Amino acid sequence: MMSDVPPSNEAAPNRAEVPPKPFSPEDEVAMRESLKRCSAATVEAAVQFRRTRDVALLPTIVLGVIERFVELELRPKLREGDDDLRLVEDLGVDSLTMMETVMLVEEVLQMQTNNDELRNLRTVGDVKTFIDCKVRGLPLPKPTRFLPVEQVAAVMPIQPPFLFINEAQIGSAGAQGKYKITGQEFFLQGHFKDNPVLPASIMLEALGQLAVLFLLEGAHAEPGKRVDPSRILFTSCEGVRCHRICRPGDTLTLSVRPRRVKMPLATFEGSIRVGQDKAAVAEEVTLTFAYADGATQTVGARDNAAAGAPSHPRDAAGGQPPLAAAAVSAS
Amino acid sequence: MARIFVTGVGFITSIGNDREAVSRSLRELRHGMVRYPPFDKPEVPVKVAAPVRGFGVDSPDPEDWTYPSEYRLKREVLRSLCPNALFAYCAMQQAIRDARLGDTDISNQDTGLYAASGGSPTILGRLLNQMYQQGVMRCPPLGIVASIAGTVQFNLVAHFKIKGVSCGLSSACASSSHALGFAFDDLVLGRQKRMFVVGAEDGNVDTILPFAGMRALSLNPDPDTASRPFDVARDGFVGTGGATVLVLETEAEVERRGVVPYCEVAGWGQASDGYNVAISHPEGHGLRLAIERSLRAAGIASTEVDYVNAHATSTPIGDISEVRALRAVFGSDIGRVAVSSTKALTGHGLSLAGAMETGFCALALREGFLPGSAHLSNPDPACAGMNIPRQTVAAEPRVVLNNSSGFGGANVCLVLRRA
Repeated sequence: MMSDVPPSNEAAPNRAEVPPKPFSPEDEVAMRESLKRCSAATVEAAVQFRRTRDVALLPTIVLGVIERFVELELRPKLREGDDDLRLVEDLGVDSLTMMETVMLVEEVLQMQTNNDELRNLRTVGDVKTFIDCKVRGLPLPKPTRFLPVEQVAAVMPIQPPFLFINEAQIGSAGAQGKYKITGQEFFLQGHFKDNPVLPASIMLEALGQLAVLFLLEGAHAEPGKRVDPSRILFTSCEGVRCHRICRPGDTLTLSVRPRRVKMPLATFEGSIRVGQDKAAVAEEVTLTFAYADGATQTVGARDNAAAGAPSHPRDAAGGQPPLAAAAVSAS
Repeated sequence: MARIFVTGVGFITSIGNDREAVSRSLRELRHGMVRYPPFDKPEVPVKVAAPVRGFGVDSPDPEDWTYPSEYRLKREVLRSLCPNALFAYCAMQQAIRDARLGDTDISNQDTGLYAASGGSPTILGRLLNQMYQQGVMRCPPLGIVASIAGTVQFNLVAHFKIKGVSCGLSSACASSSHALGFAFDDLVLGRQKRMFVVGAEDGNVDTILPFAGMRALSLNPDPDTASRPFDVARDGFVGTGGATVLVLETEAEVERRGVVPYCEVAGWGQASDGYNVAISHPEGHGLRLAIERSLRAAGIASTEVDYVNAHATSTPIGDISEVRALRAVFGSDIGRVAVSSTKALTGHGLSLAGAMETGFCALALREGFLPGSAHLSNPDPACAGMNIPRQTVAAEPRVVLNNSSGFGGANVCLVLRRA
């Protein structure tokens, strides 16, 4: 995701605060020592990076450093290349380990970060994007935000009993959501007779709902524009395949990524997992949408409240404590 | 008053890394001293130390450390440990197994932990160097908790999920005796049902060599005689490190769990010299008062005491000060009570000493022996008329005292009784 963008000359003036120092043989020895517990590929990528500043090497380096701090039995997960893997919940990386990781990356890449920048890194994708932006001198993306069920319900035009998102994380590259099948869903009484199975149409509906949430909460909107929650509609889907029967007790992990967003159409790719099992994929889910009339400057207090006041950070209400804050509370 | 028992022990010491090895060393008077390679420099006049064996903990990176294969530590545990916290972690596992404690016996609101350790000067020194040389934001995030005094209980309480009381005690060479004393009080007062008591020290160049400046270390280059408490030729102590963990439990817990205790902790006492920051009172006034108070608290007469594990570190002034305190307490009975210093075998463990030597006394009480005072050829004339066994002897002691004295003139005496 990062390697396809060539390094641009415009970014150079903003790049690291300190211009890169020449990479001496002594530096290389020291760096190899620092990375001695990383894979050989990571070490070589780091050496190459210091010689060439080729940002295409960054994902290998960053993943290699994260891997070194993850317990052995969890490393296969990391190799699957899922950017939605959560550092705390999925990889057992606590806030202090996160700092160790970042310090090693800083040392290897000759960059500096501050505590505030680390607070919002929740997924492997967040870390990759963050490091990429830092090294290129690009502005940092909006952080992934966590929305508990109350906030999801407050934002969405769709409401229970037809809301199939219990919690969600919204990042610049996409959204992730969870839905636990309780067994109390009204349609399970008849689907099927004495054999409750989540309908495939509901899986698709859940992906569509997460795409709606992304449109309402994501950072893609044109400046000064706000998506109107009452004017989003499902349009089409392509390449839908179901791989697994989902039953009461299963927790669906929903994921959508925007492919194209240009009013009036927004197209996403989506997938659903249950644990590590693939449950369903949709190559394309397309919605229509429209911006609300009037610019944000004229949005009234009532609208603001209904939309959950997008200008304010929301993750204070839920989710993991900020990384740096968790670390310093130890003393 | 509730009765308190020692029900488990764990040792990582210069004379053995488990109970059996320690017991054998005490019986056969095998010492733990060596010509210590880091002292093998012309500018270092001290040559002998008593390091822990089987551990390689010199690397700045804990993931490079080596330790006996029966222990398994994850990176997330290792990263906040200093060497002595690693020793304590291992001794803790031994003590838990020895006392036959299950997970729920360890992690509950009625089980606490008191520890004593001087912290890790080595790790703290590295941390400060890194801070000055590479920058304040380039220091390992856990450098503080791995190095400052308190590091042992921070780590053990977190990793063993201790939910009762926890604290670190700091009175230098009396620290872990204080830890045991206050643990005893918490049990007697009904505040806790079970306490872990931990003493630990790195026992390396950075913990030992600073004592050379105060002329407290032996300059004797011979490992076989460098530590010889009560001998007229003694010339200072030999440094050591390691860890000891003791499990203390109330009588009700001992009965509920059906375990056989090592011994009873009958009471303790403490008093201070009020004399000098680093030198014992020449007449042993503080130690005498501590012993008298401990016997009174235990309801035991001095005539009932069979053995004293002396603090005697093999320094010229300290040993004699203790001898005078003992004479004052035992009077004409001084020739009956056996007195020895196991520091002739182990060296002086500083914060570790009190817990380690209480562990030795627990073995002596359960297994039936009196540890000899090794390396004693020519007793100091001040010891005339005392019963200082030079060999370990088979005996069934009923009451045993363990003395400890620390900087500032802090003195602690623990009274142990056969269970």
